[in-house]
Amino acid sequence: MSEFVQLGSVNERPRPPRADELQLQFSDLAIAELNQLLTHYPDKKSAILPGLWIAQREYNGYLSGEAIAEVAYRLERSYAEVEGVATFYSMYNTKHAVGQHMIEVCTCLSCQVCGVYPLAQYIKKKLGINFGETTEDGMFTLHEVECLNACDRAPVLQVGDQYHGPVDEAYVDRLIEQLRTSDVNTVTQMADCIVKVQTGPLTEPTSPTTNPTPTAAKRGRLKVDATG
Amino acid sequence: MAEYKLLFEHAHDPEFKTLKGYLAKGGYSALKKAIGIPAQSIIDEVKASGLRGRGGAGFPTWIKWNGLPKDKSHGKKHYIVCNADEGEPGTFKDKQLMEATPFLLVEGMTLAAMATGGDVGFIYIRGEFLDAAKALRAAIDEAYANGYLGQNILGSGKNFDLYIHLGAGSYECGEESALMSSIMGERGMPRLKFPHVPLPTISGLWDSPTLINNVETYCCAPFIVNKGGAWYATLGASTKNSRGTKIFSVSGHVNKPGNYEIEFGTTLAELLEMSGGMKGGSLKACVPGGSSVPIMNADQVNKAVIGYEEMWDAGSMVGSGGCMFLNDKTCIVQFIWRTALFYANESCGKCTPCREGTKWMLQILERIVEGNGQEGDVELLMDITKQIDGRSFCGLGDAAAWPVAGAIKVFPEEFDFYVKNGKSLVNSNLKLLPV
Ligand SMILES: Cc1cc2nc3c(=O)[nH]c(=O)nc-3n(C[C@H](O)[C@H](O)[C@H](O)COP(=O)(O)O)c2cc1C
Ligand code: SF4
Ligand code: FES
Repeated sequence: MSEFVQLGSVNERPRPPRADELQLQFSDLAIAELNQLLTHYPDKKSAILPGLWIAQREYNGYLSGEAIAEVAYRLERSYAEVEGVATFYSMYNTKHAVGQHMIEVCTCLSCQVCGVYPLAQYIKKKLGINFGETTEDGMFTLHEVECLNACDRAPVLQVGDQYHGPVDEAYVDRLIEQLRTSDVNTVTQMADCIVKVQTGPLTEPTSPTTNPTPTAAKRGRLKVDATG
Repeated sequence: MAEYKLLFEHAHDPEFKTLKGYLAKGGYSALKKAIGIPAQSIIDEVKASGLRGRGGAGFPTWIKWNGLPKDKSHGKKHYIVCNADEGEPGTFKDKQLMEATPFLLVEGMTLAAMATGGDVGFIYIRGEFLDAAKALRAAIDEAYANGYLGQNILGSGKNFDLYIHLGAGSYECGEESALMSSIMGERGMPRLKFPHVPLPTISGLWDSPTLINNVETYCCAPFIVNKGGAWYATLGASTKNSRGTKIFSVSGHVNKPGNYEIEFGTTLAELLEMSGGMKGGSLKACVPGGSSVPIMNADQVNKAVIGYEEMWDAGSMVGSGGCMFLNDKTCIVQFIWRTALFYANESCGKCTPCREGTKWMLQILERIVEGNGQEGDVELLMDITKQIDGRSFCGLGDAAAWPVAGAIKVFPEEFDFYVKNGKSLVNSNLKLLPV
């Protein structure tokens, strides 16, 4: 019944790039941020989690083999170690590329008793996808998550850095309409927000001309894997 | 008793999130006071206050604060860590504290640093809490700019740096040793504990002395230093051994869900009344302290007084204060199935009793709620809880076993009926299963 716990499921991972294939993509800003983050910890290993957040932003929300390899390279750790860390945490997107907006539906206890399961069914039908899948236009990825710890607002959804609740069917209709034309609360923006909060004000700012932020244009290159 | 707003007194004042507003309400007077007195007297005040950890276990706070080496000739840094990974289903108090009163946390951690020789602090916030993280970022930046953090704080000659570290989606990282693994760039798995290895206060982050407390625990410190431990201990004095106020996050079938700060000694029935009473039916059950604690029936709720020992006597625990009230339309078996799903999802996989046991419990509960329960399933479930409880590497295993065992004890007839008849004893239109 619950696909949420995947007993014995195989997590397909991309092949790590060979050393000679490694193409570094971090922008100047990303490098400056990583350098500043490194001053918070006594060793480079401790910057793996913040480094992965930077990569999640720089690689459009998906930690591909290349993204993991770049973090490993910059922190002088092995590919296997960084991949091992990344796959442990549910907020790093290591299973498949994701759409522009990630809709995360809390189905945990308070939301359960406040009627989230029928609502989740409504959202799935409306978008035509199941949990773990992305719409064909690459706009939405739907995820099921555990307690978002805003249970007073049950049922609760999270979209990027924004919580929504209490949510009903009419709210979902409005929200999805709004998100279709919105470029805020996206997956990359959320990662960006996380990076900025951890880094704090940059002591050595980079010039804005040399730090391209990931753009929508790049999204076209991402293979959207709808099988989850 | 009614609400008692100590930490939350200014929670609805947006000015309180700014340094100016915080100072206007007497903010940082505790730090100024602490700078003028010996470190040990800060710890003595915390001892006198009777403050116990608000993260779930209720461990006396002063013992931790007193446990860091007084003599820093070992040459290592002392780390002050805040557990802001709030992940216990039903709990949302740390979220509101960080969003509405970020300076209380920053000042509380700075006081802890003054008391224990802290050099560097980390606030480990769960990755989803971006509003909280932004509020803290703003507070920390203002504190640095005005001499409340950084080098030579307020001319005291003491230094304290404070950083934010975000989690990335793992309930297990709320467990303190797993949290340290996560800060050090590892998978969020717990570490061996005392007495097999030294306490974190001796050897924690990067093998250095480390103090870990919950958000609410640190937020109490400014009041204790300011008004004195003896004053703080007058709150909750009617209970055996619980002092001060506690924030309860109330959710479920109530009219006014939200955070309520109460004095220990308040009854659970009073808390329900504050939350606007039951919605959609009469009171059937309550999970008073987050999903990990045993469920209570209405009778137990009506007798329960809120206090660490008192709640234990009533058959449950204060836990993290995530209080879910359920009405009589709720099927307990389906509710416990979802609880088991949570723990099966969040088990880190390090030790066998929890990794396998949580999945077995889920599989059995799953076949019961699907109507395919087999004779002996309830006994089998009970047996598995006994194999997990006390045999797991960390507290998550115990926390997974208690709710299942507790629910079978308090509502045995619901489980028996479901297994025998393949359907719920509760005939209601509350849809608690995936459609
Ligand atoms: C599985 C598990 C999850 C936990 N999650 C949290 C949490 O989210 N927040 C928290 O403050 N404590 C959590 N704790 C408790 C911490 O391990 C620790 O007791 C607490 O941070 C100590 O702070 P305190 O003394 O101020 O309560 C958890 C414990 C376990 C076993
Ligand atoms: S009890 Fe569970 S969460 Fe804790 S170490 Fe064992 S498997 Fe991991
Ligand atoms: S159960 Fe959904 S936010 Fe807590």
